[in-house]
Amino acid sequence: MDKLVLTPRGFSRVPLEAEVITPDAFAGKSVKEIRALRVHYGNREVEMSEYIHVQGKVADAPVDQLIVVDGDARHIKYIGRGMTAGRIVVQGDAGMHTGSQMSGGDITVAGDAGDWTGAEMRGGLLRVLGDAGNLLGAAYRGSSEGMTGGCIIVNGSAGSEVGSFMRRGMMVVEGATGPFTGVHMNGGEIFVFGPLGRRAGAQAKGNGGFIAALGGAREVLPTYVYEATYAPGFMTLYMRQLAENLGVKHAARYIGEPLRRYRGDMAIGGSAEILVAEKGAP
Amino acid sequence: MSFKHNGVDVEDTFAEGFGMWGSRIIITAASERWATTAAGSMTGFATSVIACDCEAGVESSVAPDSTPDGRPGVAVMVYGFSKGKLSESMLSRMGQCVLTCPSTAVFNGLPEEEADEMLDIGKSLRFFGDGYQVKMRMGDGWHQRRRFWRIPVMEGEFLVEEKMGAKKAVAGGNFLVMGETQDAVLRAAEASIDAIHTVPGVVTPFPGGLCRSGSKVGSTYKFLKAATNTPFCPTIKNSVKGSKVPSGANSVIEVVINGLNEASVKRAMGVGVDAATRVPGVTWITAVNFDGKLGKFKMGLRDSLEAI
Repeated sequence: MDKLVLTPRGFSRVPLEAEVITPDAFAGKSVKEIRALRVHYGNREVEMSEYIHVQGKVADAPVDQLIVVDGDARHIKYIGRGMTAGRIVVQGDAGMHTGSQMSGGDITVAGDAGDWTGAEMRGGLLRVLGDAGNLLGAAYRGSSEGMTGGCIIVNGSAGSEVGSFMRRGMMVVEGATGPFTGVHMNGGEIFVFGPLGRRAGAQAKGNGGFIAALGGAREVLPTYVYEATYAPGFMTLYMRQLAENLGVKHAARYIGEPLRRYRGDMAIGGSAEILVAEKGAP
Repeated sequence: MSFKHNGVDVEDTFAEGFGMWGSRIIITAASERWATTAAGSMTGFATSVIACDCEAGVESSVAPDSTPDGRPGVAVMVYGFSKGKLSESMLSRMGQCVLTCPSTAVFNGLPEEEADEMLDIGKSLRFFGDGYQVKMRMGDGWHQRRRFWRIPVMEGEFLVEEKMGAKKAVAGGNFLVMGETQDAVLRAAEASIDAIHTVPGVVTPFPGGLCRSGSKVGSTYKFLKAATNTPFCPTIKNSVKGSKVPSGANSVIEVVINGLNEASVKRAMGVGVDAATRVPGVTWITAVNFDGKLGKFKMGLRDSLEAI
């Protein structure tokens, strides 16, 4: 892959909206043209080079483009938004909306990621090595579908409304999640290895969607019906995938572990599932 | 015309194979006992389409580290005359023999890139869940996309992959083992089957892989479309007109092979013949054909031995 290094020229309290930071926007251009791409700094439109130093090699096709953001990018929003291919590595924290609506390629954030990370994601792989903010992979306000494909994995914890209106795809949080995880969920899989936040799965319809609370749950909504405690065979397939394809080594530990199966949200006649590891069941 | 192989006369002829649709599935279970039980049940009464709805057999055992869910598995292959017939047989046999068997799960054993068609077997089987079945998705947009159905059953949950691969395959690979005694011929045929089971992509649908009766098309009775292969029955070799049993042969057993492609069947024939000719008492090997009137695949015994 051809590597292009973007170095933010210091931290700013005024956010920088830089949705041009994608392999799709960079590929085929010269470094000079990339430096001149327009970004929003507060309410001003400026050349990217004013706030980000750019150097390196540009690929002909997005799939061959590696973008390394070298430095604190907490104030930079929309990194990798809508990207279809290639790779982005943020060697620090990333701002809000990172990887939102992406449909391919992969993004790795070495630090923490802001709110709306992976919002309405359609495909690709998004990995956050630190914590993620609120509304991870969620639907934007007014949308009826959040994540429809791809995979988000967070090594740390995540905030509230993780996977809201999720339709398809996979989300893995190795730490805890905040309230309303999987709210309005209508498909997809959410795996939480830490404690699951309160009111998980509220208004979830089902369509094969489930939340696996492997680290236990503080509570399960009363509109979820407890069915049985069993070791579902299908979970083995997911745990192996997590261990072999996503490097979640401790996932293998949950193979064959009994889970408490809850079905709901009955408040809306839903058939989603919350599967709570027996040890952490309420 | 014949040639010698391991000192045994092998007739320079061919087995006449014909086209069928074939599919492979992997049955897994909590233990080898239940995986084998389900596979045996599913492949029962599936020796020949002369009187069975399909032809089926166990291809091999699959070690836990090679199955999708890490449990002991068995690879089963089913063959039908058309995609429709194959689907029907797989659906009914899977529904009656595997879904009902404790702890089992079923996975596709013929990936889409190797298949000519993907059959909606699991998708049809899901209705057994009576509305409580759950669709399971994997890999959407980031990894290999797969679909399964989780069907609630009294024991727990039956997991089945939504689609099973099928492809145009080859049936009717065969050879006949002849010898001085029944015992020698049976031992030689057993050695053939053991050797054939080392070849991937083939099954031997008859009991234990062997067919002692053989069969010929038609009979002296109007109501019977197939009968014992009289030209190869040693006990009437001097009574039947046109007997093909050579002098000195007092027993004949047929080995029948179906495979996912011609090369696999040919190779299986080769290793089978080679193994049989190493057993003392075997005097003659030949193959059954219908002068090219039955099928388009002509798998020569000489070619098959050269293929190993």
